[in-house]
Amino acid sequence: MLELRLLQGGLLKKVLEAMRELVTDANFDCSRSGCSLQAMDSSHVALVALLLRSDGFDHFRCDRNRSMGMNLNHVAKLLRCAGNDDIITLKADDDGDTVTFMFESPKQDKIADFEMKLMDIQSEHLGIPEAEYQAIVKMPSQEFARICRDLSTIGDSVVISVTKEGVKFSTKGDIGSANIVCRQNTTVDKPEESTIIEMKDPVSLTFALRYLISFTKATPLSNTVTVSMSSDLPMVVEYKIADMGYIRYYLAPKIDEDEDQA
Amino acid sequence: MAADGALEIFPQVQALVLDKLQVVSYKWLSRNFSVSSNYAKRLIQEFAERHCSELEVIYTLSGWLKSEPQTYCVKLASTHKLEEAKQVFKDNCSVQVYSVQACVPNDLAVIWNAEFVQAEELFNQPLTEGNCLRDNRFCGVSNSFVKRIVDGKHVGAAAPWPMNGKGVAIESKGISTVKGQPVQHPQQGSGAKNGMQSSIAVSSDNIEKVALDAASKVTKPPLIKESVSGGNAGKNKGQNVKSSSGTASSLASLWGNASAKSKPVTPAAETAIDTSIAAATAEAQICAREALDAANSEDEDHHNNHKRERNGVSGRKRRVFLDFSDDDDEEENVTSLSSPDVFKGKHAAESLPKTESLLERSKLSTAEPKGDRLSDGLDGTEGKNSSLPSDADERSASITMGGISLKKKTKSYNQGDTDKNNKDVTTTSTSTSPKRRKVLKTRIDNRGREVTEVIWEGETADSNMSEKNISVNDAANRPPVANKAQAAGIAASTNPGKGGNKKPGKGGPKDAKQGNILSFFKRV
Repeated sequence: MLELRLLQGGLLKKVLEAMRELVTDANFDCSRSGCSLQAMDSSHVALVALLLRSDGFDHFRCDRNRSMGMNLNHVAKLLRCAGNDDIITLKADDDGDTVTFMFESPKQDKIADFEMKLMDIQSEHLGIPEAEYQAIVKMPSQEFARICRDLSTIGDSVVISVTKEGVKFSTKGDIGSANIVCRQNTTVDKPEESTIIEMKDPVSLTFALRYLISFTKATPLSNTVTVSMSSDLPMVVEYKIADMGYIRYYLAPKIDEDEDQA
Repeated sequence: MAADGALEIFPQVQALVLDKLQVVSYKWLSRNFSVSSNYAKRLIQEFAERHCSELEVIYTLSGWLKSEPQTYCVKLASTHKLEEAKQVFKDNCSVQVYSVQACVPNDLAVIWNAEFVQAEELFNQPLTEGNCLRDNRFCGVSNSFVKRIVDGKHVGAAAPWPMNGKGVAIESKGISTVKGQPVQHPQQGSGAKNGMQSSIAVSSDNIEKVALDAASKVTKPPLIKESVSGGNAGKNKGQNVKSSSGTASSLASLWGNASAKSKPVTPAAETAIDTSIAAATAEAQICAREALDAANSEDEDHHNNHKRERNGVSGRKRRVFLDFSDDDDEEENVTSLSSPDVFKGKHAAESLPKTESLLERSKLSTAEPKGDRLSDGLDGTEGKNSSLPSDADERSASITMGGISLKKKTKSYNQGDTDKNNKDVTTTSTSTSPKRRKVLKTRIDNRGREVTEVIWEGETADSNMSEKNISVNDAANRPPVANKAQAAGIAASTNPGKGGNKKPGKGGPKDAKQGNILSFFKRV
């Protein structure tokens, strides 16, 4: 028996919206400690990892570990039937092949339940080693989304360079080029508006903007985003989900031609 | 794709061609085996390749002539005259297999006889019976503005172009587009503001006559109807089309309009169109039309992707123009939309005799080839343009490009298009001018990553062009810009590893290969 009850149903909606552009089908792995999901996009360039800890749920019961394959677009569709304030409960039998979403309105005057068929999804679970990153940039998530969106109007890949001066996003395209530099800024009143750069070594990597833009669909989940980069690792874009966990996106960098030939 | 159906069809075609000595053209093939005209072309192409030693092939060449003023021409040529025929074309011309036969007949009429008989049979079927000519289901081009009614019932949700316009006109009533035709021709012909439209009108007039005769005057009433309604049609072309399109097509008409307007300012305009803009508009619109409808068509996603990717390159710039172009020009829009209908109709069913005579003449009147060419071009392009599912504006802009590029076979966009043609119809490899095809190659690179590259094979030497190509390549091969979720989704699903595709050796400094996440993390 699996039963997850989440008071802020809107959160689940945001989580699904944050993933469904990148990944279509994925397994939700539920265990006593919580609910997690890991999936690569179809081109195996990006990976999304979601963690929702059990203590973040209003009620969390998971008798045995389960992996539930779902089409994220279908889930997102179902969740759109729930109000933002609705209480969402997920239920699944241990041996069933369906999952039930129950939406209760805050005043308890309306209850809807949707049953959805589960899918068998063969997923490749990747082991992601803990790593020390050469540069970690924490910045307002809105700002990051804005930068990605703006740059994507110019080019289709972005070079992100972290130096002690700040973090520079640059792109080049047919119509010209663009550079956006964000300096470290810790003096603002609100901590979520600060830009903090922790750098061991300068890093400069190239990424495909379209993936970054997919990542920024998670912007509603958190006021801040943490971008971690090392020259020999995929970048990590992490959005914290308050009191519950995180959604992390990993993106393989583009490799320079010369380097590749060498 | 051709493989499965081919297994069943090829033996039959072989028997017909080699034993019964019948001329098998792609049209005949399409109707007889109930496959789309594009597919039929592919089949016949493949068939011709397999059996090239034992049969004669007649090719359709279409492209711009070298002569001044520029004219678009469609020619039929037999195998050994192919190279020679190509010489009259400027740059690239598309080469497709028209028909296969045991030998080239002395009487050229034999080439189209089989399909004519077939068409006649179809037209002579009772009015209540739907068939592939009535609902135009196999045509590569369709028009959502046209509603087909057989015995009071609508035929075909997609409401395609009247490929067999005349057949429909004669036998089934109530097709408003067709009603409008007779009056439109003279108008356009006399107006002659652009070569293309006028030529269409001329050719269509001729063919219309042929068609009427040919169909053995099955019914009088429709003819009467034609002339009656023709009176209004001249004045109310706009309404005509509108009413026939019904509610569903209002968006479509906006798109058509938009593409017509925006074309002059789109990047495609770089192509320095020497032909009149009006002509370009008409073509662009046809393409747009066709592409819109192609959303319904079953053409492979593969094409869609390429198209979409190309859109990704510069769609943003174009969108601006589209926005303000929606309001005026109803009239122009309608005109250009309806004219393709007209020639389309004749062409498909009856233009054959004309085309053949071209063979003999080898000097081509502007009028006839245009009609032919357009439809051929559309047939060929259908695959690519079929990309337009839902996000209208950006797409329609690119369609415009498609339209223009069709005319100017030199541009890089266009090359994408022609390349696709080539894929289907590979005789092009023999074409005189530089031609390229887009090839998807997947390999494992020295780092163990799977790399899928889209490569243009057979580069042009032309320097400024190759530069152009680079940029198009880069952008096109890259995943479409991500704010189009749909685009991304489609592209991602059909182009795994596409992040890494780019043309080797042509990379600018900013170009890099997309790494793969699997090269960083191990599976557990």
